[in-house]
Amino acid sequence: MSAPTAPPTLVPKLEDGTGEELEHAATRADSRRGALLALPGFAYLFLFFALPLGIVFVYSFATRSSTGRTILGQWSVDSYTRLIDPFVLQIAWRSFALAAAATALCLLVGYPFAYYIATRSPRVRGLLLVMVMIPFWSNFLVRTYAWRVILGSDGPVSRLTELVGIGQTRLMFTSTAVMIGLVYGYLPFMILPLYASIERLDFSLVEAGRDLYASGWEAFRRITWPLSRAGVIAGSILVFIPSFGAYVTPEILGGSRTTMLGSFIVRQFLAARDWPFGSSLSFVVMIAMLVAALVYFRVGGKTL
Amino acid sequence: MNAPDVATTSAPPRQGQAGSSPAVELVGVTKRFDDVIAVDNVNLRINDGEFFSLLGPSGCGKTTTLRMIAGLEFPTHGSIRIHDEQMSLRPPNKRPVNTVFQSYALFPHMSVRDNIAFGLQMKKVDRHTIGSRVTEAVQLVRLGGMEHRRPKQLSGGQQQRVALARALVNHPQVLLLDEPLGALDLKLRKAMQLELKELQERVGITFVYVTHDQEEALTMSDRIGVMDDGRLLQVGTPEEIYERPATRMVADFIGETNFLPIVVTELDRARIEGGQEIIIGGDGTPGTKTTLTIRPEKMRITAPREPVPEGDNQLLGTLHRRVYLGNALALEVTAGAVRLRVRQGSAAQVHRFRDGDEVAVLWSPADAAVLED
Repeated sequence: MSAPTAPPTLVPKLEDGTGEELEHAATRADSRRGALLALPGFAYLFLFFALPLGIVFVYSFATRSSTGRTILGQWSVDSYTRLIDPFVLQIAWRSFALAAAATALCLLVGYPFAYYIATRSPRVRGLLLVMVMIPFWSNFLVRTYAWRVILGSDGPVSRLTELVGIGQTRLMFTSTAVMIGLVYGYLPFMILPLYASIERLDFSLVEAGRDLYASGWEAFRRITWPLSRAGVIAGSILVFIPSFGAYVTPEILGGSRTTMLGSFIVRQFLAARDWPFGSSLSFVVMIAMLVAALVYFRVGGKTL
Repeated sequence: MNAPDVATTSAPPRQGQAGSSPAVELVGVTKRFDDVIAVDNVNLRINDGEFFSLLGPSGCGKTTTLRMIAGLEFPTHGSIRIHDEQMSLRPPNKRPVNTVFQSYALFPHMSVRDNIAFGLQMKKVDRHTIGSRVTEAVQLVRLGGMEHRRPKQLSGGQQQRVALARALVNHPQVLLLDEPLGALDLKLRKAMQLELKELQERVGITFVYVTHDQEEALTMSDRIGVMDDGRLLQVGTPEEIYERPATRMVADFIGETNFLPIVVTELDRARIEGGQEIIIGGDGTPGTKTTLTIRPEKMRITAPREPVPEGDNQLLGTLHRRVYLGNALALEVTAGAVRLRVRQGSAAQVHRFRDGDEVAVLWSPADAAVLED
């Protein structure tokens, strides 16, 4: 009959239990709240990006009737085997070359300019950044048409070369015109990330390099350039991807011999009424870009 | 714990002998940024093998002076010579000096080893020599085993050592250090002070050290140059700077002190303004109004009627306040128009005085300094 009295340690134990429970509840609430916050974004991306992409994927295995209707149900990989047609490959190669050249040119023009902006006083910096972004305030189509006037055979460029004595220039409808248009259109996308990474750079590192016998060029090559590589990578991707799939620029400034993938895909859907082929083309281009971007990030990130 | 045997680490021979050309010589060096004069007509000779500190409050021009020696700024006027070679407008990469930067400025995208090798690579030293010299430098600053880490993976103290090794590996004629211990906590800073001094003695390179910490400067330097408002106010050994400050600013900046406004009456006599006559060391010019400075720990407190040692000064006053500091006692005594701060070891004889007691303050004229301004 000697019932031992309960040890008083029971109270803290209880508190421990509730504490743990509370913690779990808090974690659950936290993830629930997170999901709720992300829901609109997820819903939007699913409805207007993932779902249509799925449809494109399904369509790429469909067949085209002789009248141009898409027949679902007769599945085939025809539209994929047609991708290795030399004509298609030529367009793909041209798109790649033009986009790569436009990216390189943007980098060449954009890097010194971004460096210049980043090393100004804060007030001048703000002003220059606004100037970089001003073109976005007017319609891209209109601005591209303006280039038609500038590059046309009776435009200012042509007149200037005539005045100098090299004769008229025929830039319109050439790949040069397309490239000028691409560089013009996407240069801000190169400058802004470059600016962001150069602005973050600790210039005492450059001074340290100079103090350690590096010439101005060596200090740039060994310190400034590698430390701004994040901006170079981001800018290059932001320029290359839209250039590769460009539609408006080659359509307006280019000719039949400068067709790029974007225009070619559009032609499949509209003029040729070959939706399966257009779909497979879109899909493969997208996957290729994704893989290229991933590799680029991985390689660039490693050497960073 | 494979700490390298420090004594066996080969050190470059001490450059030059006594009486050789100064390691650094500044003649009339002035630096103007727009309307601001950052450095104002500085003349300075830093001896070979010396640990020289530039001391002053922030914005006094000490860092700008250092940067001009490094070549990161160019003087508006004047000339800078390093071992008798004209440097004034030479770019930093062509000067025989290296810098330890305040924030270390380690290259974040390179390993410790690559950071240290950078200078030698730029000098196009052959790979074999680079390898052995980097290894030597790594051991000199006790960073063995850290060679492949990135600066971010190191503690503040370790980063500091990398910065040191990166500069020392080049065997510069002069090493410039811009507040290198500023970012470290107090305890580590104290340890690094001794280590730096030891290192300097071992490698025998001239160190020019910029700091705003007077204690740091006193602890490490062979000589100190005190700067304020762009001007070099006084150059001397730590003892000279502390015991015989030339100006009020120097006396005030280096430790605690008392200022007594005086009028010199004779060669070795002066009258405290509105007070009694005292003996001053040195040779005053009768009639001049100036200031006498005495360190609190140089004064003694006694009872008013106690005998005064021959030649000492005595001021009578009222004990105003006592603060117990553990290892010492800080007292404030009002004597006429002046208030004196006195510091005593916690001797029992001082404890007998209470606030409001009549006391005498004694000091030897040799312990007080008459200021120039």
